[in-house]
Amino acid sequence: MTNGSAAGMKKVDDARRLERSRMRAHLMERLQQGDADACRLLLDNVGPAVTRFLRGRVASDEVEDVYQEIFMALFQARHTYEAGRPLEPWLFAIARNVAADHSRRRWARASWEELTPDLPERAAGDSPAAPPDIEGLLSRLPAAQREAFAMLKLDGMTLEAAAGRAGVSVGALKVRAHRAYKALRKLIGGEGDGG
Amino acid sequence: MTHAERHRLLVEALAAAIRPVRPLWPVRARLGLWLLLEALVLLWVAAHTGNDFVRKLGHPDYALEVILFAAAATLAAMLALRLAIPGRRAGPRELALSIVLVLIGTALVLAGEPIRTGYPLGEFLHVGIGCALQTCILAALPWMALWWAVKRGAPMRGAAAGLSTGAAALLFAFALMRIGCPIDEPLHVLTWHLLPALVLTALSGLAGTAWLRFRPRGQRL
Repeated sequence: MTNGSAAGMKKVDDARRLERSRMRAHLMERLQQGDADACRLLLDNVGPAVTRFLRGRVASDEVEDVYQEIFMALFQARHTYEAGRPLEPWLFAIARNVAADHSRRRWARASWEELTPDLPERAAGDSPAAPPDIEGLLSRLPAAQREAFAMLKLDGMTLEAAAGRAGVSVGALKVRAHRAYKALRKLIGGEGDGG
Repeated sequence: MTHAERHRLLVEALAAAIRPVRPLWPVRARLGLWLLLEALVLLWVAAHTGNDFVRKLGHPDYALEVILFAAAATLAAMLALRLAIPGRRAGPRELALSIVLVLIGTALVLAGEPIRTGYPLGEFLHVGIGCALQTCILAALPWMALWWAVKRGAPMRGAAAGLSTGAAALLFAFALMRIGCPIDEPLHVLTWHLLPALVLTALSGLAGTAWLRFRPRGQRL
């Protein structure tokens, strides 16, 4: 490969990176305005980068936990993103912070377990370092709400199709889904944010 | 459950919980508001002091000393507000500059008048404790306002954010005390104006470690 073609490829690479960065910044601005589609697009877009960031920084069996924590932190700190600035420094500063917190907690837990080999049984969910339980969270919703959320958001069904499957009216299904969102929002702790 | 499924669930849960947020105002705007608050405190001090600071401001050393401490405080406030935004770092140049300003200001205090050591202890303490308390009082409202402004962000380094917040409020309080307090004697100024400011700045850093650092709320999915 000649120097000229290498430089050309680098230019193309830089241009792509810049374009991606602009797109992410734009999606973040829409996310701040409450656009759920922008939220999905942005989080899908940054997901692989966050995973790459975590590899080598946290133990492989803990990547999933930290990944979730990072997304929750991004969500909660979304009002601090400054429009017009590149998203990546903001994003990775938060990711670094969460990963560092996780490492500290892990180190503290390991030290404690060394000191107390016979740990008393801990109630599930009473520690911030408790293992994540996705199914557990959904299982805490009433069955009807869980079903409505799963059909609309996970299976991507239309309101009509989901209502037909659940055997209720579209209005009733909407109410169930709304209640499920409300319960999830409470559990995620998204309330009280603001610039 | 695979990573992709967990990711999907997480994203959908977050998208379901989304609502509009008001982004933070730019650092300059928030700094401007904070300086406005300090200006109001300055007006209050100027209106209530028996110190002839207007005449003293004619002396370049005195004027420079007040300006240097106020400038260092402004820089510290800017750093604190920046530290509240993930990815924005406290610039080492600004940090170094604010330290240099404080050192030059301190040198000017020392050079202003000869140090008097023959104070009766009771008088030294009686007058001094009042000044230390006034320093705290003058710093209280600006400190709370800046702390609140920083806390509204997401500071990644709590200690640094706390230190900067404390330094901003207390260095400005020091400058205000130079205007409000008629005593210019270096031992008094350093012991009862600067030392409390430095101690409280350190405490603010400790408080920042505990309460200012951004910690995501809520529970994981």
